[in-house]
Amino acid sequence: MTETLRNFIGGEWTASGSKRVLDVHNPASGEAIARVPLSAQSEVRAAVAAAKAAFPEWRETPPLVRSRYMFRLKALLEEHFEDLARTVTLEHGKIIDEARGEVRRAIENVEVAAGVPSLMMGYNAEDIAVGIDEDCVFQPIGVFACVAPFNFPAMVPFWFLPYAVACGDTYVVKPSEVCPTSQSRLFELLDEADFPPGVVNLVNGDKEAVDALLTDPDVAGVSFVGSTPVGKYIYATAAAHGKRAQCQAGAKNCLVVMPDANLDRTVAAILTSAFGTAGQRCLAGSLVVAVGDVYAPLRDKLVAAASALKVGDGLDESVQMGPVVTRKSLDRILGYVESGVKEGAKLLLDGRKVKVDGRPNGYFIGPTIFDGVRPDMTIAKEEIFGPVLGIARAKDFAEALSIIDGLPFGNAASLFTQSGKWAREFKYRVPCGNVGINVGIAAPIASFPFAGMRNSFFGDLHGQGRDAIQFFTDRKVVISRWF
Amino acid sequence: MDLATFGAILRFAMELEGKAEAFYREAGFAEATAAAAKRLRLLEQARREGVAEMILEPITGLDTAAYAAHLEKAADVSRFEGACARFYKDAAAKLPIREVVRLFQRLALEHEATGAQAQESQGASRRTEGG
Repeated sequence: MTETLRNFIGGEWTASGSKRVLDVHNPASGEAIARVPLSAQSEVRAAVAAAKAAFPEWRETPPLVRSRYMFRLKALLEEHFEDLARTVTLEHGKIIDEARGEVRRAIENVEVAAGVPSLMMGYNAEDIAVGIDEDCVFQPIGVFACVAPFNFPAMVPFWFLPYAVACGDTYVVKPSEVCPTSQSRLFELLDEADFPPGVVNLVNGDKEAVDALLTDPDVAGVSFVGSTPVGKYIYATAAAHGKRAQCQAGAKNCLVVMPDANLDRTVAAILTSAFGTAGQRCLAGSLVVAVGDVYAPLRDKLVAAASALKVGDGLDESVQMGPVVTRKSLDRILGYVESGVKEGAKLLLDGRKVKVDGRPNGYFIGPTIFDGVRPDMTIAKEEIFGPVLGIARAKDFAEALSIIDGLPFGNAASLFTQSGKWAREFKYRVPCGNVGINVGIAAPIASFPFAGMRNSFFGDLHGQGRDAIQFFTDRKVVISRWF
Repeated sequence: MDLATFGAILRFAMELEGKAEAFYREAGFAEATAAAAKRLRLLEQARREGVAEMILEPITGLDTAAYAAHLEKAADVSRFEGACARFYKDAAAKLPIREVVRLFQRLALEHEATGAQAQESQGASRRTEGG
């Protein structure tokens, strides 16, 4: 019998009273591995109330002491590293190396947040007028919440939670109902780290829980990562209820290859970008724009290399690409493949033919490559969120850039070149928040903001780094004079 | 088996060290047992800390078959240690992460030294038996 996940509210593990429950599946086998309750609004309100009650004492806890909780948490995460990575692979399907990379990224955010005694320091100026000084201090605000996606079930809440808590705020996580077990495991470690009751809270649920967070007057701000329509909804609803919001949304990331690119290194980088995590990440490259003469050799090398990738159960160390997360996702991706064929793109590599021995019920689709993709085709415009790569041609750099300009998204883009001039032009002009130069996955490390523009981000302050510190604090300015 | 991922390479390395540790412990070589156990810890740490998106690019040209070596009796030690040294050297040339490359290079040297020592003591024991 599979475990039913519990909520963690006010320092206690509690079974949800909700009758609405979903199965969580291992995407490699299709088997149910857990059950997740879809908590009622009253349970969300209880979590927010616990967080609110914990705030006054937590905010008065010196930053240095809060930082020690981060060190304690880091030690626990290191100790349980492999178990966490396996949990991610089991519920999401990504290969174990990618899961390890994800857990490492989560830990890196804890490491950066541990620097809060310095990161939260304000600034001051003497004699702004005769005998008058001015100070700016950073103060925590209250209760914050995160609505997390399925694709990085361990890492994404850690773009936010460590910073919020280190800054003196209290926190509620609502994990994805598709992949909720990693957060349950992480909260066991947060529990072991012995944060005061109510400082960190976990509520499993779906839209009902999200709406409860968005409308609760005691929630000061919300962080979200997911699709563009949901990001817009969360941003608008949070704003309408007077909350801060940072909403990381969808993407359609282009990988521009110039004729002077180092082809072998470029192909390796593109493979990782397009097919890593089976294409289910907001930084995945999904459209290669081949400039000029590079087109034919690039196409041939890409197809040859992608054909050789081993698809299978992510727990098998020899596997290079795992399944997609759900049957529904698989069907959606297959629909995009159909649409590409119908709209006239040429299917060079058909991932639909992939079969994995011993895993007949897994949600597998192999690397898929389309050639002759035009900017007006559906597969060139929409986020597929699967291992489907399109190849488009551009006669020169300007045309390549215009293809990116024409997209509504602005999450990431990469350029492959040996020319500093083109690299500089690209960095300067491309309307995307995360830019790679000879890097296929432009993933900012924890001390930098995870950027994003246009329809890929709603808000102003991003997750991670200094942006996170600003998002989770208010600036208070004190102007003083002594008679 | 093809070693095409960072994890597969690290796992194979850990299997080699696990085999070494078990053999040396059984044979009563305390120093060699401790050295193998330390290498295992370092590899486990490298697997935890060395993994990032950038290194998930495909790796080619490494196969476990090239480093197959028994370790069941004292006479196997030199060949086994030689195979380990070759593996670490070859893998270091394929891995794109500097800390792990440095670790593998160091482990190659350790295995070379242990192999040379084993060869020397085998030679000495043959000389003793002969004379």
